[in-house]
Amino acid sequence: MAAHNSTSARTWPSGTIRKAAGALVAMLIVGLTLTIFWNIQHTAVTGSPSVPVDMAHLVRMTALQAGLTTILSLIVGIALAWALNRLRFPGRAFVIGLFAAAIVTPGVVVALGLLQVWGRAGWINALLVPLGFDLGSSIFGLQGILAAHVILDGTFAARILLARLDAIPKIPLKTGQSLNLSPWQRFKVLDWPIMSSALPGLSAIIFLLAFTSFPIVLLLGGGPANQTMEVAIYSAVRLNFDLNGAVQLALVQLVICAAIILPAISFAPSLTSAGNSGGHEWSSGRWMKSCQIIIIALGLFGFALPLIAVLVNGLGPGLMAAITRASFWSAALTSLIVGIASASLALGLTIVLCMARSESANRLTRTLISLPAYAYLVVPAVVMSLGFFLAIRNTGLPMHAAAPVVLIIANALLTLPFALSTLGPTLDTIQRRYRRLGRSLGLSGLARWRLVEWPLLGREIGLVFALGFCFSLGDLGVISMFGTEDFATLPWLMVRAMGAYRTNDAASIAALLLLISLIAFWALPALFGKLSNAQD
Amino acid sequence: MSSPIRLALAAFIGLLALPAFAQSPTLTIYTYDDFAAEWGPAPGLKSGFEATCGCTVNFVGVDSSIGALRRAQLEGDSTKADIILGLDTSIAEEARQTGLFADHGVDTSALNVPGDWQAADFVPFDYAYFAFVYNKETLPNPPTSFEELIAADADLKIALQDPRSSTPCLGLVLWIKAAYGDRAAEIWEGLAPHILTVAKSWSDAYALLLSGEADMALSYTTSPAYHMIAEEDDRYLAAPFSEGYYLQVEVAGILKSSENQDLARDFLAYLITPEAQGIIPTTNWVYPIADLPDGLPAAFDTLIKPEPVLLLDDKLVDEKSNEWIAEMFEAIQ
Repeated sequence: MAAHNSTSARTWPSGTIRKAAGALVAMLIVGLTLTIFWNIQHTAVTGSPSVPVDMAHLVRMTALQAGLTTILSLIVGIALAWALNRLRFPGRAFVIGLFAAAIVTPGVVVALGLLQVWGRAGWINALLVPLGFDLGSSIFGLQGILAAHVILDGTFAARILLARLDAIPKIPLKTGQSLNLSPWQRFKVLDWPIMSSALPGLSAIIFLLAFTSFPIVLLLGGGPANQTMEVAIYSAVRLNFDLNGAVQLALVQLVICAAIILPAISFAPSLTSAGNSGGHEWSSGRWMKSCQIIIIALGLFGFALPLIAVLVNGLGPGLMAAITRASFWSAALTSLIVGIASASLALGLTIVLCMARSESANRLTRTLISLPAYAYLVVPAVVMSLGFFLAIRNTGLPMHAAAPVVLIIANALLTLPFALSTLGPTLDTIQRRYRRLGRSLGLSGLARWRLVEWPLLGREIGLVFALGFCFSLGDLGVISMFGTEDFATLPWLMVRAMGAYRTNDAASIAALLLLISLIAFWALPALFGKLSNAQD
Repeated sequence: MSSPIRLALAAFIGLLALPAFAQSPTLTIYTYDDFAAEWGPAPGLKSGFEATCGCTVNFVGVDSSIGALRRAQLEGDSTKADIILGLDTSIAEEARQTGLFADHGVDTSALNVPGDWQAADFVPFDYAYFAFVYNKETLPNPPTSFEELIAADADLKIALQDPRSSTPCLGLVLWIKAAYGDRAAEIWEGLAPHILTVAKSWSDAYALLLSGEADMALSYTTSPAYHMIAEEDDRYLAAPFSEGYYLQVEVAGILKSSENQDLARDFLAYLITPEAQGIIPTTNWVYPIADLPDGLPAAFDTLIKPEPVLLLDDKLVDEKSNEWIAEMFEAIQ
């Protein structure tokens, strides 16, 4: 008894340190958020008249777009997950991996690919026009935005839902099989209950991603009719210099997004499922099989074709011209450095927050610690970067020195919500499972990390790192405020090249961005998994 | 954060923050991308002025000219810009209201500015007339007025710019206002189905014409000269519009916050010399504001002779432009 007391006394401080560190990080994030808004409000001067914003119209259109995106993405996601869960075919793992990577595919790259495939001068029309059909310029406007979003979010949903389906235990499946359930009964009894539990969190995430969409809307929106609030905020700042208007818009966006994310946080889907998917054998009938094949083929066609277009157009003869420019290499270096640094920062913050959270059993404490991290799903990237920009200006720091640091911090913060929902649940499980063992062995905080958590978390840590890296690599919202001649990232350079008729350069940069994102997303989790296991 | 990561982070940040070694003095000019581009007027003007000034000229391209102004506004006193180049007379009054600009002190009285535009704070340096440019092979019968454009098939698509960021589209708003007055909203409503997209800058919109995504792009009567001279391509033409053509005069101004006032004034004085003006027609593809000894290239003779020329009063424009832009947005959304 005495021994037990002494060991628990020895391990007690590490839990407290973890909790304190988490609380500190959470407070820092809150402080940063307040600083951002204070600086914008402080700098905003009334007087300069601006183009009045039709707020009701804007909210309505943004909500409509995000709502449609969510519904369509869920339908596509459910259909794809269902088909992938049932069907076995060569290359299935690759397809699943590809869909999993949707979450990190830079929006600006997808928009470009869509234009190359579905634009008036695109691939589809090149095939159809000689046959007497013409799709025209259908890719601009609401339908273009929806297409791009569903390509990204539908496949993302498919990956999350597939993990749920694959997790259905063998016993109910066997029972169902022996009861000879029809495909519809099987879906209703076995699949739907387990998928539907993931839908609230998934819907909230997709809705927010679409609601705050920036590069896709900027490129394919077609103008003020379809702009999102995020684009309106960018316009208020960069086109009108209307900081008051920007703050107003940002606050409205914050309130709407908070109302959506707060109830859904506890349902937020975990991204832990980027690995291979197993599944069970239960052959479908011929009809169902054809159905599944068609769904998967359509999914691949819709998702992969724009990406293939980007690769084909970008990796052609123009590639050498693009990558021999000095500006390319300096932008690539900046992107890599900022990406690695912000991924490291995001990872560090996530680990601290998740550890603090898993230490505390109290629901309120857990919420208070993790809530600030979700702030950046609702604070627009444009507002965040504006706030940082003005904070630097107001404190008189040199902009060129501060810009990279801001980019690193801002990109890390934008990754946090996803990182938290990736690492959090696993860390909670570890905590539940090994808490007693750790205590009885008298492991210190560091030893516990080294012996228990790191080996078990390796893959997930790699995934968080990859998310942070890819989000940062594809960012256009933050860099749009800080990008200059001397300080450019690859997406920034790409958009500038598009505006300057260097479409070949833009295509090459897009292709490279896509390749780097995909490789990082696949390689990093595997690498970290290996590293952590090697330590046992 | 473990210390190796922190160390690496510090090293990275240090690497990124390597200051450009300042040589004295550097004149920094914010302008729009196409002006600053390697094929734009900037390289010629840079080498021409540097030959006499004993300084370095640094053109910084921002996506649009209004974007350049906004950048300077955002940066406040800490801006590196000495000159903002590429605003036009329609936005000049609004730019004046920012209080950022100093008087230039350059004698502009001898210039051929249409409408004799003069200002203490902005030096005019070129001019042009807005027009819709099209490809005559893909659009053999272009509309020749706003009303014909409205009546055209719905699949005839035009690429515009955002009037809040791009002076050409602000020009279009004024063009329609000058031509149609109270009927402007109705014209915009008619145009709405033909608008492919409202791009953020002139070059984004023009790129959509060149790639075949749009049938027409808002540009200038002089744009076809570029295709004829630089590309020996006579497919691109400006559509003749019976309502007339709106005039754009491009201007440059010196920022009060600049520490190189004298140098900046010297540059603006150089900008309107025949030597510098000679660079404008075949790089910026608009009309020079001073007489050129050798006249304009022959291709310019084939261009539309703008008649009648439309222009609204600066003060009225400044007072009303936001209202008119709102009217446009209201009509097309």
